[in-house]
Amino acid sequence: MTLEIDRVTKRFGRTVALDQLAFSVPDGRIFGFLGANGAGKTTTMRICLGILRADEGEVRWGGVPSTDLPRRTFGYLPEERGLYPRLTVIDQLVYFASLYGERPADARANALGWLDRFRIPDLAERRAEELSKGNQQKVQFIAAILHAPDVLLMDEPFTGLDPVNLALLRDAFIELRDAGRTIVFSTHQMEVAEALCESLVIVDHGRLVAAGTVPELKRSSRARTVRLGIEGEIAPTWLASIDGVAAVRPGAGFAEIELMAGVEPRDILAATLERGALVSRFEVAEPSLEAIFVELVGRPSDVIEEPVDQEDAA
Amino acid sequence: MARHDPLFPNAGTVARREYSERVRSKLYRISTIVLMALAVGVAMTPIVLRYFDQASVRQIRVVAEEDRLAQGIMATAEGVMNLPPPGVDRRRWKAPYQIARELDRNVALQALADGRIDAIIEVVRQPDRQLAVTYRTLGPADGVRSQLAGFAALSLGILDWTASLPKGSELGAFRTPTFTTESLVAPTEGGRQVDAVVVASRGFLGTVFIILMFITILIYGMWVATGVATEKSSRVMELMISAASPRQLLVGKVVGIGGAGLTQYIAIAVPVMLVLAFQEQIAGAILGSGQAGLPTGGLTIGLIAAYGLFFLLGFALFALIYAAVGSFVSRPDDLQTLSLPLSLVAMGGYLSALLVLLGGGTGTLARIASLVPPFSPFAMLARLMVSDVHPLEVVLSVVILLVTIAGVAVVTVRVYATGVLLYGQRPGLRQFIAAARRTS
Repeated sequence: MTLEIDRVTKRFGRTVALDQLAFSVPDGRIFGFLGANGAGKTTTMRICLGILRADEGEVRWGGVPSTDLPRRTFGYLPEERGLYPRLTVIDQLVYFASLYGERPADARANALGWLDRFRIPDLAERRAEELSKGNQQKVQFIAAILHAPDVLLMDEPFTGLDPVNLALLRDAFIELRDAGRTIVFSTHQMEVAEALCESLVIVDHGRLVAAGTVPELKRSSRARTVRLGIEGEIAPTWLASIDGVAAVRPGAGFAEIELMAGVEPRDILAATLERGALVSRFEVAEPSLEAIFVELVGRPSDVIEEPVDQEDAA
Repeated sequence: MARHDPLFPNAGTVARREYSERVRSKLYRISTIVLMALAVGVAMTPIVLRYFDQASVRQIRVVAEEDRLAQGIMATAEGVMNLPPPGVDRRRWKAPYQIARELDRNVALQALADGRIDAIIEVVRQPDRQLAVTYRTLGPADGVRSQLAGFAALSLGILDWTASLPKGSELGAFRTPTFTTESLVAPTEGGRQVDAVVVASRGFLGTVFIILMFITILIYGMWVATGVATEKSSRVMELMISAASPRQLLVGKVVGIGGAGLTQYIAIAVPVMLVLAFQEQIAGAILGSGQAGLPTGGLTIGLIAAYGLFFLLGFALFALIYAAVGSFVSRPDDLQTLSLPLSLVAMGGYLSALLVLLGGGTGTLARIASLVPPFSPFAMLARLMVSDVHPLEVVLSVVILLVTIAGVAVVTVRVYATGVLLYGQRPGLRQFIAAARRTS
């Protein structure tokens, strides 16, 4: 079984939200769907779900067009979180699962199990409006998976979570993957994507920019990263002023330097030594996913693009 | 092959949630109790008014020097003023007036001044033998009762005149003639002319029903629009629209909220109907006598059923449109402006129905209004209340309404499916039309 996005085009008025977008997601994988705001991620997910119809192309799961599949094939966590504020957590979880055809008693038992798993069993009888944003997010995640969908579409599932909850959700992802679910998620948090994705795509302005596993993308990247330690200096910010340096990020006892295209690591080392600095560490590292993203898209992932006619066509 | 999204069970699941959320709310319960009390109060008003009114003239004293005149006026007044209404069980019926003779005029006047009696009928034979009858009350005299006393005086005059005829002229005992009114142009029911009191009563009830229908359709319609707008603003719509089809969500919402509205309506209507159905008994228990011509006479099961039918159809039509409107706003606060044109359309239906009521349910305009949605639920009900409508016209009106509702439902589902995903834009007529023409 494969989720195929087959040359999908979607226009909103004169704006082209998706332009012949094509990629496929193998069964039972955690798949990253990366792109800046306005790149077409949400539109793609909505087309997968059948909420929007593609102007051209189609989405297939196991060779069957997604618009022909039962709704329970997919589980969806929208980017904009929302629950019924006055309904108790357990009631809305049972309600959503019922819409997907689950028996209320089964849904209830299953929901209580997941609430326990996410360390919030005491919130079952509380109204959603009484919950913190992080807990609301966990409840909505449970709502998306209770009916055991084959494919999980998660729009920015990690946004706003503290490190503890982020780890809980990451573990849940792995558990679901191990249970045979296919998980497609979008995120701005490149370090999360790098740690979790088995393969990914990067889209920009509705077009595919790159696809592959993280090692494949790193191998194909022209981006260069150098880790440089300087004795007696914790934050050598002056490194940013060296010609050929694109960005400097502080590390543990070193600075991580992104190089501009065509610049060699030895040029940076030479420039540093010329300034009389005592170099304690010099290491040519693989580029980060963030660096690859900037290289391919031309801007960081959290830069907001002009929205298209249909809000959230991101 | 397209995705199979049957209406049920999802529409039922949505309807149940919508219904239970509304009926569980404190505001719903309080408003139901308050409205129920108000409605029962209104239904009881005629009886309560009669209760207070019954004490205005009850005790009447007759003052006359001649025994024959005193007996005569007592007999005629008894016959005219205590005439039992038609259809009343005479054994259980209690006369509204107690008429007795008072020999001492001054005692009678003092009793009237003290408020112990309500009126005096004084008969005096003048020197030219003409009778002078005075109906005396403490405050302003009630027109109807004065008229009845006048009839009694006239009857006394006839009696006195017949008594003065030569001996041997046998005329028999005096009997009060029966008195009814008839009109050449009046509604009929089953070929029988409908009583004028019933016509007036139905006019009153028709106004009450039309106002009730107008208010409830607006309120429950706004519930639907607010429900959709709230789901959209709380962003739960994103989750809903992926779990169920727009058709399932829309039908579920309209049915659920309509059910909550219907429950409230039944909770209000049942006690009112009971009061109306047993008004004679209640009036009898409170007033101590059979009461005819109470303003709610003429209410039939057929009219109540017609109200239920046209209320449901009218609600379905307006609720669908309200749902479409609700799907196009980003916040419930924006609904006020957008729902105004719709309120004006409902107002048009309401006013057309009032015109139908005033015109007696006849005329070309009334006929057209009773067939054309969205006016027909109001106008046809009004026609049924005050006139004789051919059953085929009722069937035609219902069929046209059903077809219109089906057409509006198709358009609304399209508008809803597009509208619920639009945020941060001020919806205009162009967007509505574009959404309605869209097939997905």
